[in-house]
Amino acid sequence: MRVRVKCFAWACEVTGLDEIELDVPEGGTVGDLRAALGEKYPPFAGRMESIAVSVNQEFSGDARGIAEGDEFALIPPISGGLR
Amino acid sequence: MICRIVERPVEMNALIKDVASDDIGGVCTFIGLVRNHSRGQRVTHLEYSAYPEMAEKKMRQVIEEIEERFGVTQVALEHRVGELQIGEIAVGIAAASAHRDASFKACRYAIDRIKQIVPIWKKEFGEGGSVWVEECPVDAENT
Repeated sequence: MRVRVKCFAWACEVTGLDEIELDVPEGGTVGDLRAALGEKYPPFAGRMESIAVSVNQEFSGDARGIAEGDEFALIPPISGGLR
Repeated sequence: MICRIVERPVEMNALIKDVASDDIGGVCTFIGLVRNHSRGQRVTHLEYSAYPEMAEKKMRQVIEEIEERFGVTQVALEHRVGELQIGEIAVGIAAASAHRDASFKACRYAIDRIKQIVPIWKKEFGEGGSVWVEECPVDAENT
């Protein structure tokens, strides 16, 4: 199944695109999406722990199942700021 | 209540007006400004970007969490995106409650939580080039 994934900030600079397409297995998970991402865009592979994935605008763990029509995004570390 | 990403200057007076009403005894505000230095480097300006739909959704979540934690409290939030100059307001918060304690707590909670879970990014521009400020990887378990 082919999914579209929004890219922001650092992730957008790595891909050069606001949105990328990834192939993930039918009935796959966010973990599968990450694997496909690392394969297609190697710079992510070494920094996977610092990228969060959102599904339908909620942060999601790797075990979450994904389906056609879901909205995905790569969320690099957010702006932070010292307390 | 105001809860939005904007591409124009943040208007604190509008936020304060939004939360004030006859049963309110205190309004606490927080203003996040663009500072001219960061980690020992001079900053010339900042660029903020957001995932706007999700950012507004997570900002609404922050307000809901505040209502649950601190009782009846009115909160208005505005975060600006785009290119911001030194001294401009990046984020504005107004929290109001019948008695002051809840409004102070709500304001503090709002800014800390925004920086944890709202997808907004900041790029710093200085003499040595530009850098994404990446201080807060999102922990999916805590969102």
